[in-house]
Amino acid sequence: MYQRPLVAPATRPYDGPAVTEPMHIRNFCIIAHIDHGKSTLADRLLELTHTVADRDMRAQYLDKMDLERERGITIKAQAVRLAYRFEGENHELNLIDTPGHVDFTYEVSRSLAACEGAVLLVDAAQGIEAQTLANFHLARDAGLIIVPVLNKIDLPQADVDETRRELAEVVGCSPEDVMAVSGKTGEGVEALVDEIVRRVPSPSGDRNAPLRALIFDSSFDAYRGVIAYVRLVDGVLASRAKVRSMATGLESEAEEAGVFAPEATPVPKLEAGEVGYLVTGLKDVHQVKVGDTITSAGKQGAREPLPGYREPRPMVWSGLFPSEGGDYSELRDALDRLKLNDAALVFEPETSRALGFGFRCGFLGLLHMDIVKERLEREFGLELIATAPNVEFHVIRGDETIVVHNPSEMPVPGTYDHVEEPIVYATIITPSAYLGAVFELAQSRRGELGDMNYLSPERVEVHYTLPLAEIIFDFFDQLKSRTRGYASLDYEPLGYVPSELVRVDVLLHGEPVDAFSSVVHRGKAPQYGRQMVERLRELIPRQLFDVAIQASIGSRIVARETVKAKRKDVLAKCYGGDITRKRKLLEQQKKGKERMRRVGRVDVPQEAFIAALRVDQKAEAKK
Amino acid sequence: MTAGVYVHVPFCLTRCGYCDFNAYAGLDHLASRYVSALLREAELAAPAWSSEEVVSVFLGGGTPTTLEVADLKALLARLRQAYAVAPNAEVTIEANPDTVDRPKLEGLLEGGFARLSMGAQSFDIAVLAALERLHDPASVRRAMSDARAAGYTNVNLDLIYGAEGETLDAWERTLRETVDLAPEHISAYALTIEPSTPLGRKVQQGVVPAPDPDLQADMFELACEVLSEAGYQHYEVSNWAKPGFACAHNLGYWERRPYLGLGAGAHSYRDDRRWWNVRPPEMYLELVEAGRLPVGGEERLEPNDAYLEEVFLRLRILEGVPASWVEPDRAAPFVESGLLRDDDGSLVPTERGMLVLNELVLALTG
Repeated sequence: MYQRPLVAPATRPYDGPAVTEPMHIRNFCIIAHIDHGKSTLADRLLELTHTVADRDMRAQYLDKMDLERERGITIKAQAVRLAYRFEGENHELNLIDTPGHVDFTYEVSRSLAACEGAVLLVDAAQGIEAQTLANFHLARDAGLIIVPVLNKIDLPQADVDETRRELAEVVGCSPEDVMAVSGKTGEGVEALVDEIVRRVPSPSGDRNAPLRALIFDSSFDAYRGVIAYVRLVDGVLASRAKVRSMATGLESEAEEAGVFAPEATPVPKLEAGEVGYLVTGLKDVHQVKVGDTITSAGKQGAREPLPGYREPRPMVWSGLFPSEGGDYSELRDALDRLKLNDAALVFEPETSRALGFGFRCGFLGLLHMDIVKERLEREFGLELIATAPNVEFHVIRGDETIVVHNPSEMPVPGTYDHVEEPIVYATIITPSAYLGAVFELAQSRRGELGDMNYLSPERVEVHYTLPLAEIIFDFFDQLKSRTRGYASLDYEPLGYVPSELVRVDVLLHGEPVDAFSSVVHRGKAPQYGRQMVERLRELIPRQLFDVAIQASIGSRIVARETVKAKRKDVLAKCYGGDITRKRKLLEQQKKGKERMRRVGRVDVPQEAFIAALRVDQKAEAKK
Repeated sequence: MTAGVYVHVPFCLTRCGYCDFNAYAGLDHLASRYVSALLREAELAAPAWSSEEVVSVFLGGGTPTTLEVADLKALLARLRQAYAVAPNAEVTIEANPDTVDRPKLEGLLEGGFARLSMGAQSFDIAVLAALERLHDPASVRRAMSDARAAGYTNVNLDLIYGAEGETLDAWERTLRETVDLAPEHISAYALTIEPSTPLGRKVQQGVVPAPDPDLQADMFELACEVLSEAGYQHYEVSNWAKPGFACAHNLGYWERRPYLGLGAGAHSYRDDRRWWNVRPPEMYLELVEAGRLPVGGEERLEPNDAYLEEVFLRLRILEGVPASWVEPDRAAPFVESGLLRDDDGSLVPTERGMLVLNELVLALTG
């Protein structure tokens, strides 16, 4: 697990102004698509403002986690204080990093709420992408001043004029207002910083009002406990002050206030308009919730919290099980550890007849799920079997709403009134040449077309209402493959709607395999069932008897395949005296058998579970 | 106790693509040194085996008939001199049809090699080509008639089924042709792809398809049918014999009687110890010429290993496993599904059961 080391105060005192007048503060973030060069631009800002000494500089400085660097995305928001002299005045620029993925919309919105301005960074060779557009809308709706910027203008394939025109159109400004930089060469970066100071408003806020600090992110440090990243909206936050989190009601002592410059550096106090961190003195990241408001404990506390707080809500669920020989308690310990600095991760014990003891885990989205799985495997050395991801279903029975996180717990039809599933509002940006392919895909995923907007003759922004369940079933991969990687996607939850959903079960030799149960739309259930049994026919090894593989909806069988009985499994030759080798072959075979899981009378290899549960693009593409 | 002696001759005219035995083409120049080494090893090993009565001698390979008859005779003479070889011991020599003619066969028979085992493999020229065998079907017929003319009355033909392109019909023709030649003993092996062989690599690369196990199962069943009609008794998974002609030497392996292996890579067994000679012929020669036993490795059988072997071998030779050895719950489903039959307190595999013997062994030994 990664823990951010906090630098001891004596080693590196903060050499900027202790407290800056609000008129000299600028709080801004950079909105950009993955690979559009946000981290590289941030590196240039660190250099330009001498925030990091040249000898300490390294690429993608702010993306500290290994996982982040490899995936090229940023998971944890961070705020860096940059000291910048502009028109003879010292300025404090706070660059607030925002997560760049659709899973983290709420986190993005909280980071935005800590800013007055946003740099909208677009790759001049790529044009604007759906997530950037969605985040731009979020930022504008939050009242942020937008500074549109083209990046990578040094690239030979950069189409600066066209992208400038497109960006101006999206933002609603004149093309001249669009800045152009190269994060790589540094060209235009200084002008951009000047422009940020000019255009982004300084924070308003009352230093004499009761303290209100917005928590826009948090992390866990093994030695110091939970660190909250805060934006002071009103009042003053001094080290050692008694504070209260307004949503949780928890009180603690602010052990240390500080700023990131870019390493953690303590300051005596943070004042309205500033951004920094707070060592909360709390040990559980769940006690420090993103979006919550910190105020003073006792009577001086603010009455009204800052708006916009929301409990983190998992959108995607999956069962995680230790693979053969794996240890349930190790998995539990690992999840407990991860939860320490991942407030969005939830899990509950689950028992599967096929996979044994494990956990049903809730994630913000597919990326979040992948990250958690990868960390469990990489950092904790676990081997896991994950069931196919599913959304949370609401089963309505009279006045009662039954929340279902696990398809195998879906009640049988006839015992409820109806089922509701989550839908999302999806934004897709695609080259217009692939519009047909996008329509086709969205249609096949029960999408309802909303409005469309041509960003340019070549690029279209399309909106769809789609069931989330369809999105998490390899929609993004399909979208990419059908548009040669050019389309981009963003979505936001729209709530729950009634839907014709049924549970499809898979039976092996008459025995239902809970891990393979899935809740799908009635119209697609037979097709889904066929796909599963066909896939399993390839994966289940032949046994000594015919194995029926069936898919059923309730008691109705919708698909069936048979794995014919194995007829030959014998060592042909056994002479020449080398009995040792023959015995070893048998012992190997025995070990292989022991690694399988037994479902009723059927031996199912580990790999069959993994392969069958994978959302397989090839199987999907064959349709 | 009765024992067997195996002598390994690692020379072949060519190397067949499917074969993973310890055999080499192009080492003929080592032949006379090798014979001397065998004579020497026989002497070196003899003291430890003085109390055993040798009831079978088997010269295998490789292709033992690549050696001169005189050398082979001398070898057998040395064995009779150094070991207590029973007068009526079964003495087998393996031969490649192309390496024997009538004078050679007469010499071998006269020298005491009374049982002849020939690698016929197939009577289908396409199958022989797929197996990279040099001989053609006619040479098997010729060798067989030479053997009879030389006076051989105990001949085995080896067959391999399931090579690329072989159909069930083609296999039936091979079986019929074999039966027409009326050998006393027939071994029919399903072609097994060994990863370390040239054929194994071709299968891995997808150049050659792996044998279809269902077709091989059909072929096995056809062999059972054709050979039993022709009066052969099925006495081991891959072996059939006219009454009284089961191979005593191979039965020794399967019944876990002691055996001594001489020659490069040869395996030996006695008293729950298995050991084996070094495999490379040159290394074997050096060790023996230095007056040392050329042992390359050994293992002690733990009770569990011994039990697994016992069950596995007993099932192979249709002797069966006493029902009392096995928890009733384990055996019952197989008796019910017709893979095992309860033969007077012994669990014996049926024909179908023999085909899935590995599964039965694992299920019964738990």
